[in-house]
Amino acid sequence: MQDGGLEELLRGEKGAWDAFVRRYAGLVVAAVRGVAREAVDVEDLAQEVFLRLCKDNFRLLRSFDPARAGLSTWITIVARSTARDAMRRHRPISVPIDAVPEGRLAIDPVEPVRKLKLPEALLSPRQREILTMLYDREMEVFEVATALGIDPQTVRSAHHKAMIKLRAYFKSEVE
Amino acid sequence: MTRNDKVPKARRDMETDRRLWRRSRLIDAPEDEAGRLLDLAAFADGLLDDDEHARIAALLAADPDAAADVETARTSVRCDQTSAELERVIARACAIVPDTAPPRGQVVSFVPNRRPSFVPYFAQWGSIAAAILVAGWLGFSMGSDTSLALTSSGQSSDAVFPELFDQASGFLRDLGEGLRT
Repeated sequence: MQDGGLEELLRGEKGAWDAFVRRYAGLVVAAVRGVAREAVDVEDLAQEVFLRLCKDNFRLLRSFDPARAGLSTWITIVARSTARDAMRRHRPISVPIDAVPEGRLAIDPVEPVRKLKLPEALLSPRQREILTMLYDREMEVFEVATALGIDPQTVRSAHHKAMIKLRAYFKSEVE
Repeated sequence: MTRNDKVPKARRDMETDRRLWRRSRLIDAPEDEAGRLLDLAAFADGLLDDDEHARIAALLAADPDAAADVETARTSVRCDQTSAELERVIARACAIVPDTAPPRGQVVSFVPNRRPSFVPYFAQWGSIAAAILVAGWLGFSMGSDTSLALTSSGQSSDAVFPELFDQASGFLRDLGEGLRT
């Protein structure tokens, strides 16, 4: 099941799920073992990974794009990320509860979502630099090219790609 | 289209792009976790173009955990040996029933109860009949009591109100009689 079995899996066929688990369980166990603090955690963390993969009608698994990465690589990344998140959630409190102010025991009603500076999340450093020079320092394309030691056409190309990303982001925000 | 037409449009586009860039610097974006995981995997497999590679490299430089994930994925860790632990993991994961039906709103239609119900019918008409009976009994009882009270005192109507009746005719006396002189 490199990619072909994914279709059956995403259709919800139990046999495909079992085959997927048998094929990738070893990979998941090895990946979470590198994150787990204790060996006893490995089984629970591996279960968290499989639960996350099939949660909400395989929402995460559906985001996998075989054109962008190999499934084994992606599962390794997902497994380690999931295991680390799970361990952060289940981290035991090592101080007596009476010693903790009540305010610090409050639980957020919604799981916090990590926020990133938009240009840093979307654009490469070179693209950010070019946009900064063009729009914040009011430089012309040839001046940017000279300052960076690159061809003016490269500046235009980087600018074009960056703006496509920004427009796509803001369009999706509006929608 | 002349060259003069193109220049203002290019300037307008430039101005739009400038506003978009400046706006992007003022807001924070919620992290797209699924997109990030795919970016990291693509980075590990070396399938990104130069710009994307540089972008992810910059993110990894600020996130050592993610950098470790990528490094582990590159070395393609395997756990091929069959062990009791692995069998337990497989058994637990196979026991998961994948949630293939997304939670959706379901309209529950309430079917009206078509069986005839006599309780409200009798309650309605019974209460009306009871009210009529009580009002009739009360009126009759009050009238009888008044009549008995008058009889038992031995007074007739003309004895009770002698000044109102003319003894000779038995009719009501003309009360304005004395005023006409």
